Amino acid sequence: MNTEQLLTQAEDLLATWSKESTHPDPMRLDVVISADDLRAATQDLHTARWGYLSAITGLDLGIEAGQLEVLYHFCSGPAITTLRVRQPRDGEAVVPSIADIIPPASFFERELQEMLGFTITGLNNNNRLFLPDDWPEGVYPMRAEFTKDQGAPVPGRHADEMPDEGLINGNTFVVPIGPQHPALKEPGHFEFTVDGEIVTGARMRLGYAHRGIEKAAEARNWNQNLYLFERVCGICSHTHAMAYSMGVEKLAQVEVPARAQAIRELVAGLERVHSHLLWLGVAAHEAGFDTLFMYSWRDRETVMNLLEQITGNRVNYSANVLGGVKCEIGPEQAKAVKEGLSYLEGRIRHYLEVVTTDVMFLNRTRGIGTITFDEAVKFGLLGPTARASGLVRDVRVEAPYGAYLMFPVSAVTETNGDLEARFVVRLKELLVSCATMNNLVDNLPEGPLSVRVPRKIPAGETISRMEAPRGELLYYIKSNGGESPARIHVRTPSLCNWVSVLEKAVGSQLADVPMLIAGMDPCFSCNDRMVTVARPGDRQTWSWEQLRQHGIEYYK
Amino acid sequence: MTTLSALFTILIFPAGLMLILIGMLYEWIDRKLVARLQNRIGPRWFQPFADIVKLFAKEQIRPGIANLLLFFGLPVMALSGALTAALYVPLMGFAPAHSFPGDLIVTIYLLSLLTMCIGLAGWNTASRFSLVGATRALTQMFAYEAPFLLALLGPALAAASWQVSEINTYAASHWMILTQPVGFIIALIGLMGKLELPPFDSPEAETEIVAGALTEYSGRGLAIFNLGKSVELIVGLTLIASFYLGGVAGILPFLIKTIVLLLVMAVLQSVLTRLRIDQTVGIWWRFGAILVLAQILVMIIWKGWLS
Amino acid sequence: MKIGTMLKDVLESFFKKPATQIYPFEKVNTAERFRGKLVYNPSVCTGCNLCTKDCPSNAIELVTLDRAAKRFVLKYHMDRCVYCGQCVASCKFKCMNMSNEDWELAAIKKEAFEVYYGNDADVATFLEKLTHPDPVPGDGAVKE
Repeated sequence: MNTEQLLTQAEDLLATWSKESTHPDPMRLDVVISADDLRAATQDLHTARWGYLSAITGLDLGIEAGQLEVLYHFCSGPAITTLRVRQPRDGEAVVPSIADIIPPASFFERELQEMLGFTITGLNNNNRLFLPDDWPEGVYPMRAEFTKDQGAPVPGRHADEMPDEGLINGNTFVVPIGPQHPALKEPGHFEFTVDGEIVTGARMRLGYAHRGIEKAAEARNWNQNLYLFERVCGICSHTHAMAYSMGVEKLAQVEVPARAQAIRELVAGLERVHSHLLWLGVAAHEAGFDTLFMYSWRDRETVMNLLEQITGNRVNYSANVLGGVKCEIGPEQAKAVKEGLSYLEGRIRHYLEVVTTDVMFLNRTRGIGTITFDEAVKFGLLGPTARASGLVRDVRVEAPYGAYLMFPVSAVTETNGDLEARFVVRLKELLVSCATMNNLVDNLPEGPLSVRVPRKIPAGETISRMEAPRGELLYYIKSNGGESPARIHVRTPSLCNWVSVLEKAVGSQLADVPMLIAGMDPCFSCNDRMVTVARPGDRQTWSWEQLRQHGIEYYK
Repeated sequence: MTTLSALFTILIFPAGLMLILIGMLYEWIDRKLVARLQNRIGPRWFQPFADIVKLFAKEQIRPGIANLLLFFGLPVMALSGALTAALYVPLMGFAPAHSFPGDLIVTIYLLSLLTMCIGLAGWNTASRFSLVGATRALTQMFAYEAPFLLALLGPALAAASWQVSEINTYAASHWMILTQPVGFIIALIGLMGKLELPPFDSPEAETEIVAGALTEYSGRGLAIFNLGKSVELIVGLTLIASFYLGGVAGILPFLIKTIVLLLVMAVLQSVLTRLRIDQTVGIWWRFGAILVLAQILVMIIWKGWLS
Repeated sequence: MKIGTMLKDVLESFFKKPATQIYPFEKVNTAERFRGKLVYNPSVCTGCNLCTKDCPSNAIELVTLDRAAKRFVLKYHMDRCVYCGQCVASCKFKCMNMSNEDWELAAIKKEAFEVYYGNDADVATFLEKLTHPDPVPGDGAVKE
């Protein structure tokens, strides 16, 4: 079915509930419904297997408008259907939970609750997700009236309430992994209740690296935001920048030259190589295979040098500008790319062989953490984790954007769904990427590198979806016609994949848990952290400023 | 031996202080070899020594729940166990400082004392990670201890003695790696299990349980445990070199044989992935024990047939 | 099913040079396009301030001493800069570029991170005025 047919199908499915349907964009359908009809509408879409829930965005329409809005984005191939629910700002903004129909929605709904102050009925987990536990009640960061000083921590509360169960409670005890732990690249908190070596329960806490980027974006102009969003993640930074730029360019109705799009795809491909090699090393290190870690990271230097030659930096490439790219690919860079890629292809094939034939490594990956196709659909998995279970969720294939129309890639899938399949999928993906990039470099279209984008972007909303190395990245961008955005919502792929870790951890061995976490290639999301300094008999919670001052005094 | 020369041997050379320094040297060789195999540079020669000095200078943080006597006593006991075990083996090619029939069993017991101290230390400091690490350390000990002992028993049977110095002399004329290859392999891999080297480093799996049983140790206690481990490395290598590689008759053969063994161990370390604790136990009890028992059986039959 | 699949790599490493560079004794040459410290050429600057507006971290302050005579002083905060290169892209007159040699920018004092660009005379005048209570004339875009 093509996009139009998909959208018509969705419109028909929702006809009973829809108060107003519009097509803001040939690929999008907006349906306004009331909060009472939300569950029925979601059930209809779910039963008809129309796409999957990709993100839930919360908006504050402003103090004058007096309303909050929730957008539920469902994606099927290139078509996006958005259910829009409005609720009053003052008083109770009540929306029913759809987490029992669509399990991954629970994470998004918890975010809505704490960031915008919605009351989600029927949600069985009301714990804070991103905000620390000593964040004051009733203060919602994403609301229009929020200012920085409102977020001062509540005295007497711990930023990170861990249950005080005591070490040994009967036959089980809780092993914490994180926030600081050698297994994690970035801070996150997991609590695994173990019975001997078998995990019997899992809990998770995010938000340790939350920086409030979405709110910060509202205070900066469109050019500045490009770099802000690039720094959401270090490993997939180009994809974030690309998604942002594409969204803004769509709003400004600017056509990006073909050469720029091709260069964007080239850098994205190189970034994918970099990201997957990094992941391979980290996953091998978690398994205890340090040699593979050292060698894959040594080979990663090749791709980082390539990126430095093309864009000027090894991480956070800043290759994009609004309207195109900054960096030209001349014959020198093209030659370097081809040489680098041919060396890497050989090494990747070798790692593929290692990962699939080494007996001791397979002991740690084969048959472990198996997620079946049905479970993958139920959990709403994305990216290579989903593709390893046979579920083809690849935006480059389902909804090609930019230069992927000229230089397409094919989706790589495996059917086993265990850890080994995830290794194989990522490595094979790299081989496909390398082939595409070789083709691209030889056939780079001619043309300018960028076009001019106005400083004030016309009012409107847009959704851009890209395939980051970890899965589908969704950007919702809303402009009110000014120099700064009205709202930007980022839904990173890792957020959708966490559920699989928690579900699969229960029943597996403790030793497999770091591998399970690493297997979905986590890239932790964002918040401002409060630090607690505990001295015997005197617990205080200090803000960042106070802690810094203490450090300066201590070391004088 | 006179009292003075005995004291000198025990405290300074070749046991005691010299042993500790040589232990650090061997630890450095191991780390350097592994680094070079991983295409890295590796630490400089004084790195282990610098680590120990740094640890001694650091504050020792005692967990509130730990028993004081055990907390401070266990590292010392572990190190002394390893140092005492060194008295009975032909260190540096010299005759063992003290030798009596049956000292092979005592040596192996003293080496196990170190692992048991680590397990106890983990239980004593009672943090979530150290408890899991201690459990794993002791489980692993049950796994490799029997095959390792049996692998050292093979040469003892061949030499018809339980005394290390006599086995050493016997081995000088009989290279038992050729006659008992299976035993050699089991002994070498058993030593890797004993020292918690990859692939048997599940008890101190850094990515799962931070530092295993020794997570809560810092400063002096940790330094002494690390010293104990280095000494254990040397004693183990000496045992295997003297039994299987034709005895250690002098300093040069000692150095050459132990470093060759260390090289083989470094290659094995870099090429194999860490085993989960249940896989470790499974492999040892299924393959390790059976293979070495078969080897011993062959030995007994052959000896009986000869005489 | 094999065991020790990386054996070949591992043994070959004995004969290869290690991949580690002993920095600072061995330094790698950066690529030509590497984005290091910002360099400003005051002679072509028109004072449009696009660089100041577009900097994501407010690392550039453009002080106008005399707009008609095109005398500007650029105060560059090296510690705020994220080395993104947007200022280079925004500038229509090519006053800016990022050095590929100057990238070892660690310093012990904060003062080292405030770099003033401009003609020597202009910079001197500006620094003089800073230490004196007189306000800077013109529509200087000094942000705080």
